Amino acid sequence: MIRLNGLDRRDFLALLGATTAASGSAYAQAAPKRGGILRVSAPANPSSLDPATGGSGSDHVFLYTMFDTLVAFDYETLRPMPGLAESWSYPAPTTLVLNIRPGVLFHDGTPCDAAAVKFNLDRNRKGERSNIKGDLVTVADVTVTGPNQVTIRLTEPDTAMPLILSDRAGMMCSPKAVEERGKDHDRNPVGAGPWKFVSWANAEKVVTTRHEKYWRPDRPYLDGVELAVITEVQTGLRSVVAGQNDFAYQLLPSQKPVIDRAKGLVAVTGPTLYCVQMFFNCAIAPVNDVRVRQAMNFAIDRDEFNKATMNGLSEPAVVTMPSAHWAHDPIMAKYYPYDPDKARKLLAEAGYKDGLDVQAIGFSDQRWQQRQEVIIEQYRKVGIRIRFTNGTVAETSASFNTERKVPVFLSAWTGRPDPTSTYQLMFGEGAYYNAARVAATPEIGPALQATRAVEDTESRRKAFAKLQRLVTENALLIPLVFQFELDAHSQKVKGFKPNLLGKPKFENVWLEG
Amino acid sequence: MRGQSRLIGRRLAQIIPVIVLATFVVFGLLHLVPGDIAFTLAGENATDARIAQIRESYGLDRPFLVQYASWLWNALHFDLSRSYLSNEPVLNQILHRFPTTLLIVCGALSISLTIGIPLGILAATKPESRLDAAVTSLASLGVAVPNFWLAMLLVATFALSLNWFPATGAVAFAKDPAKSILHAALPALALAAGGVAEVARQLRSGLIEILSSQYVRTLHAKGLSPAAILWKHGLKNVSVNLLTVIGLLVNRLLGATVVVEAVFAIPGMGSLIVHAAINKDFPVVQGVVLAMVVVVICMNLLIDILYTILDPRVALK
Repeated sequence: MIRLNGLDRRDFLALLGATTAASGSAYAQAAPKRGGILRVSAPANPSSLDPATGGSGSDHVFLYTMFDTLVAFDYETLRPMPGLAESWSYPAPTTLVLNIRPGVLFHDGTPCDAAAVKFNLDRNRKGERSNIKGDLVTVADVTVTGPNQVTIRLTEPDTAMPLILSDRAGMMCSPKAVEERGKDHDRNPVGAGPWKFVSWANAEKVVTTRHEKYWRPDRPYLDGVELAVITEVQTGLRSVVAGQNDFAYQLLPSQKPVIDRAKGLVAVTGPTLYCVQMFFNCAIAPVNDVRVRQAMNFAIDRDEFNKATMNGLSEPAVVTMPSAHWAHDPIMAKYYPYDPDKARKLLAEAGYKDGLDVQAIGFSDQRWQQRQEVIIEQYRKVGIRIRFTNGTVAETSASFNTERKVPVFLSAWTGRPDPTSTYQLMFGEGAYYNAARVAATPEIGPALQATRAVEDTESRRKAFAKLQRLVTENALLIPLVFQFELDAHSQKVKGFKPNLLGKPKFENVWLEG
Repeated sequence: MRGQSRLIGRRLAQIIPVIVLATFVVFGLLHLVPGDIAFTLAGENATDARIAQIRESYGLDRPFLVQYASWLWNALHFDLSRSYLSNEPVLNQILHRFPTTLLIVCGALSISLTIGIPLGILAATKPESRLDAAVTSLASLGVAVPNFWLAMLLVATFALSLNWFPATGAVAFAKDPAKSILHAALPALALAAGGVAEVARQLRSGLIEILSSQYVRTLHAKGLSPAAILWKHGLKNVSVNLLTVIGLLVNRLLGATVVVEAVFAIPGMGSLIVHAAINKDFPVVQGVVLAMVVVVICMNLLIDILYTILDPRVALK
């Protein structure tokens, strides 16, 4: 059950209506139609259109149009589902066998068979320009064991691999195109997705057109998808209101009333993994003291934060996964209620009876400054004097993760399809987003490993619960809210459903009229 | 003629030091700002090793002066390098986007002159009248209104409510001139508000000064009609002032496109440099700065040449 703290009755009903319209209309209305071009307003220019060499989380919406993944995921829970691999199995804990769907063709007509999958996986884990080597660090080697079968030998048990293959690492590029085009494949890619690449005017527009030999016979419905890069989300929404575009995504909560007021526009919303949170560098005082970190968690009124900064369009967060996710831990989710008295008591125990000063960094745009103001005020009530130094994403990330001299960073985690990646990247020893670079407690490493060692969902859920307990009890993070996805589209857009990853896919979308 | 040549020569000699100074200052400022493009390029799952590898492969680990000298050397050979982010040649990006910005600037300049000049003349020929007061107030308003606010107002009215103009984007002039002008109309109008005010105010004050001078009184005494005095003597004398205003206006309009391009989601030079500066994409920032400096210098040179045509004494000095 999704908690909708902070929404009043009218907002809730509007939200419910919009979500129902978005999800139910596809089935309640006429059959899907083929044809038409979907015009999308995208809030960021892709860093690259090659899944292996790009690096931005905002690339995925572009990539999904052109690349199918070996493993797909369920939109609502992120459970793995068959993709280009129609099935997979673990005959041994360190062996993963992928059975590739026969007859799949890349946009250039070459087959997406076992040899192509091996080429891609080897390129992703060893290629000089690959940015995703870290995703495949447990892969020892990849062997073609049949025309449509690939066997992956792992260095240790890793059941996170199927969902890792639903991300960049599982997006298959044409080996022929990669070899022929070299670096130019970044800007002229060839995949096996529902639409093929036509053009990319940098920071302006990416145009795709139907892949006539797509493996799913009834898909895609749309003849093409055109993604116009409009970095100002207000302008992006205006382009949909004016009818120049059909769809805008990753809009701000403050834009919800605008969408509701606009004629002929449908708001779509749903939970995502995107978590607004404060990262700690647990190696730096005063946050090297667990009591201080716990006090900082107890001192946050997440419901008020949600209302004040997100217009109620988010889910208050205490744990790392939202309530809709299969690995969500409902017990730990109650660990840090708003309790200023307990926060003061913990601070006094830590030797900060008269309060303490904390240095933090954050982003300089207005939306983030508003969040900082709420945090500053909430901390002031328990005697924590937090001071933010602001900068761009690149500056602050480099300052916190590379230079590692700041104890607290107010930022966000965009999420990964498999939860092991999320925990590994934030809390694992030597992980980039673990600014201390050492595991906060020795139990973290084995607990992380345990989440990779079991295969079925229920066993993994239990393993994640143990890991989450360590993270929460040691207050390694201050999750604040899980941001809801907010998209707007014209009424002629049908069949769109948001996903928990918060990165829209258009494979089931069609246009009416 | 010799005076004109000397003037052009002097101005051309200034180009190199101005370009070097401007690009060096911008390069230095970008280096002073904390942050690292290697982090952006390395992606979300970056490792320290990957970041170090990127720094090395892009030459970001070299000393500041070496990096600048390398860029300058390539620029002197007409190689503006490639964008770190998109890997596209910077020159291609500039050539692709500059016409869009130029169209908006030219549109704004045309509107400023078409409305500003008649308003200035009307106000100057009837000083202290209600019309003069109205023009002066309108001019003050034009200067005071922020162009991004006016831009949003124009979008809400003419694009979203009336659907007369597109709300966002741009079309290349070579591809479809009519559509291109339609897309540029609202941004140009938003930019022109300040220009109209500036032209009207400067023209009014210049003309009032000339029309109240002794030599104009003599012309009246000789029996010339007020229209002849205004068109043959007044406007000719004030044209040098007007040229100065136009020169400054073009430079200001080029800068102001940054905000207006954001409101209208126009892929022009403004949005290019903003995106590049935020992400520390040095080659693109340097390339755009270089292009802008060249445009401003050429504009100033053109104005200087026109000065010498309108008033030959300028060249002699």
